[in-house]
Amino acid sequence: MASKRGAAAEELNLVPIMNLVTILIPFLLMAAEFVSVAVIDSTLPAIGAPSTAEEKPEEEKKPLNLSVIITGSGYTVGGSAAVLQNREGDGPTIPCKDVGCPKVDSYDVAELQRLLGEIKDEYADEQNVILVPGSRIAYEVIVVTMDATREDPSKPVDGRPRDLFPYVVIAGGAQ
Amino acid sequence: MKKKARRPAEGGGLNITSMMDMMTIILVFLLKSYSTTDVSVTPSKDLQVPVSTARKPPKMAVNVVVSQKEIVVDGKSILELGSYSDPETGAPTVAVPAEKKRGQSIPELYEVLFDKAESQKQINARLGEEFKGQILLQCDKRLPFEVIREVMYTAGQAQFSEFRFVVIKSGD
Repeated sequence: MASKRGAAAEELNLVPIMNLVTILIPFLLMAAEFVSVAVIDSTLPAIGAPSTAEEKPEEEKKPLNLSVIITGSGYTVGGSAAVLQNREGDGPTIPCKDVGCPKVDSYDVAELQRLLGEIKDEYADEQNVILVPGSRIAYEVIVVTMDATREDPSKPVDGRPRDLFPYVVIAGGAQ
Repeated sequence: MKKKARRPAEGGGLNITSMMDMMTIILVFLLKSYSTTDVSVTPSKDLQVPVSTARKPPKMAVNVVVSQKEIVVDGKSILELGSYSDPETGAPTVAVPAEKKRGQSIPELYEVLFDKAESQKQINARLGEEFKGQILLQCDKRLPFEVIREVMYTAGQAQFSEFRFVVIKSGD
């Protein structure tokens, strides 16, 4: 009687289940992805002059060659001569919020996006941007800048962030 | 009677049903988060990959990891980076040792990447595809651009021109 009633509770053989669990859990733990990963493409060779892929010979629209220079004091936005409305003079176009740009947050990304948005308004077909970081600039700052130049989430278009300049080339040059 | 009842498969009367519950929950969770992308970022003290709003999924390519301590290509450590003081600010920084560089290029890294490019080209030729020169770059977020520029230049010399910077997806 006791064995019939308690058969399920007392005589359940857990060994096969334990086998399964003991094998599967370490395997899955090693394969588990706790961070999800994405990539940023930068297709063109990194060093040297800005890419020539976008230059079409003798077209009415001159290539913009939009470039964002990242220095230890801020962003300098430039492009082909006489097409850009950045403030001339010494100092960067968009200085950092804190002098010397000690942290990633010091860089005024919002202002950069605003300025790029204005440029995009004028040159809606332009998709390329050239990034020129200084030698001492931290990689994190470069990634944050690439995020800023790719799209602007504060001005969504059709529910997605507005595309700014998704094709980025990293040039080797500034000091 | 008592002895018979108290003799489960484990022996000794250990009640493991609660542990089984826990294991089952963990198993279900891990099954759910099992992923087959072969790019694995293993965050550690020396490798903190920056967070980004990028969303493109990674595809398999030659994997170069530049941490604060060393450069690793496809799991094999190529060279170690040295820590120095920045001559301008005096802050501690990381750089490729001067004797390992030749101008902008890093010869040891170049050799390894060149071999990888060659074997990749052979594979592509056999499959009838063209060699695209894609390379995955995982860099610690604190590295100065100088190190990354040198790695990119070396990779460019070894005919890898499509750089895919591996980043961690931000929250949304």
